[in-house]
Amino acid sequence: MSEGLTRREAMGHAARGLAAIGLGVTAFHLIRKADGQIVWQLDHGRCVNSRLGAVGVNTCNLCTSECVVAQSAVRAVNDFSKCGRCYICPAYYNVTSAVDESGLPSEKLCPRDAITRTMIGDADPEDPANNFYEYVIDETKCDGCGKCVMGCKEPAGLGSIRLAVRHDLCVDCNRCAIAMACPDDAFTQASVEEAFERLETKGGT
Amino acid sequence: MKYRLIRTISGRGQEPGQFTEMLRGIAVDTDGRVFAVGDTAVRVFQADGSLLRTWSTSSPGYCIAVARNGHVYVGLAGQIEIYEGNGTLIGAWRDEQHLGLVTAIGFADTSVLAADANARCIRRLDPSGKLLNTIGDDNRRSGFLIPNGVIDFAVDRKGVIHTANPGCHRVERFAIDGTRLGHFGRFDGQDPSGFPGCCNPTNVAVDDRGRIFVTEKAGPRAKVYDSDGTLLSVVADSQFELACKNMDLAVDSQGQVYVVDTVKLQILVFAPQAEPVAAGNTAAPSEGDESR
Repeated sequence: MSEGLTRREAMGHAARGLAAIGLGVTAFHLIRKADGQIVWQLDHGRCVNSRLGAVGVNTCNLCTSECVVAQSAVRAVNDFSKCGRCYICPAYYNVTSAVDESGLPSEKLCPRDAITRTMIGDADPEDPANNFYEYVIDETKCDGCGKCVMGCKEPAGLGSIRLAVRHDLCVDCNRCAIAMACPDDAFTQASVEEAFERLETKGGT
Repeated sequence: MKYRLIRTISGRGQEPGQFTEMLRGIAVDTDGRVFAVGDTAVRVFQADGSLLRTWSTSSPGYCIAVARNGHVYVGLAGQIEIYEGNGTLIGAWRDEQHLGLVTAIGFADTSVLAADANARCIRRLDPSGKLLNTIGDDNRRSGFLIPNGVIDFAVDRKGVIHTANPGCHRVERFAIDGTRLGHFGRFDGQDPSGFPGCCNPTNVAVDDRGRIFVTEKAGPRAKVYDSDGTLLSVVADSQFELACKNMDLAVDSQGQVYVVDTVKLQILVFAPQAEPVAAGNTAAPSEGDESR
């Protein structure tokens, strides 16, 4: 973002980011922060839960366990523009669990049951596999444990779910406990303007 | 029935027989030559894996097929390019509307079949490239469910089209006029006879005996089913890089299975291995024996 960017222009950036990935709340709270203020952001390319190529590794939940905010200021968001709307979502289901009587995995992946699954569009009642499904994350339940992010990552999924710093919840510690603990240096500081740019170009902060 | 890795072909690198960024499609002709398309090139290998020839395509290739007359068809975005076996370009069918992203090509009767991943269906074309009919789009979702981004299919000796429909965890069968003939497959993340994850199988091949070979992603695996959809064997799993997806495969007349490792940009060749005969038992192992 250029130094000359006005608040109105920044709002425009935020609106586009909001429309693209449903990060409206965090964009709104970024807008409310002062120009030049430093905020924490999460680099998806470094976070092991979303980093491409990091396959067959354990999910990292340090964003949950280390954040000084109760229930963590890091939450999962689903970028609907990338979501495959799968019949069996590997972020919603534990796809290695036993199959139940309806032919679906018997266990959900989220330990807080924060994801809802809804059939959308013109449903085929005779063939539930031949339908699209929408997966919505309830951010009030999510605590950023990252299980759904790892489950959705390519090649298992399409990588539409990512962790993001909720700027309405983050208290902007000078020494962020998550950043101190993160083994991948995925937590970095940026100005509000840079965070906006990241929201627009990389789909999250 | 078990399979063992007998050979690898190509790989990631700058050498003439290697690929630098992507290896997407393979085919094996009746002489056992292996045709591979990736980057913006076709590379042809002898049965022993040595490089025979290479030529460029106009844009990145997504699939490759060899017709009975030896012509090589390469699927790209918006078109199909047709080459002599020596790499001479002899034609191009450009049709961005009906050939949006060609990720599989096959032949049935006198028709050329092309999977259009953009439209999530299969196009049947006449020998001049004219559209005859569309296959697989006559459902409520107007096509195959392919979160993985590609459609793959294979045509058996009877002209039946076997198509991977990964979002439904099925292999679906069609006649060339688009009539649905049936399907097999179900989701199962534990039983290897099922298809795991969000969307499998991703790729499919058929041999002369009508057996159906598939690959899966997350975790990468190759399997073979009989024509009824009964699992015969897991061909391979641990040999592939975990991040592989959309692993194209082919089967030759010897029953050898060729599978693309899309991370190593390498073709792995697996040969069926005869089961050891127990002492005093002279009966040959059944074709239907399941190895795992």
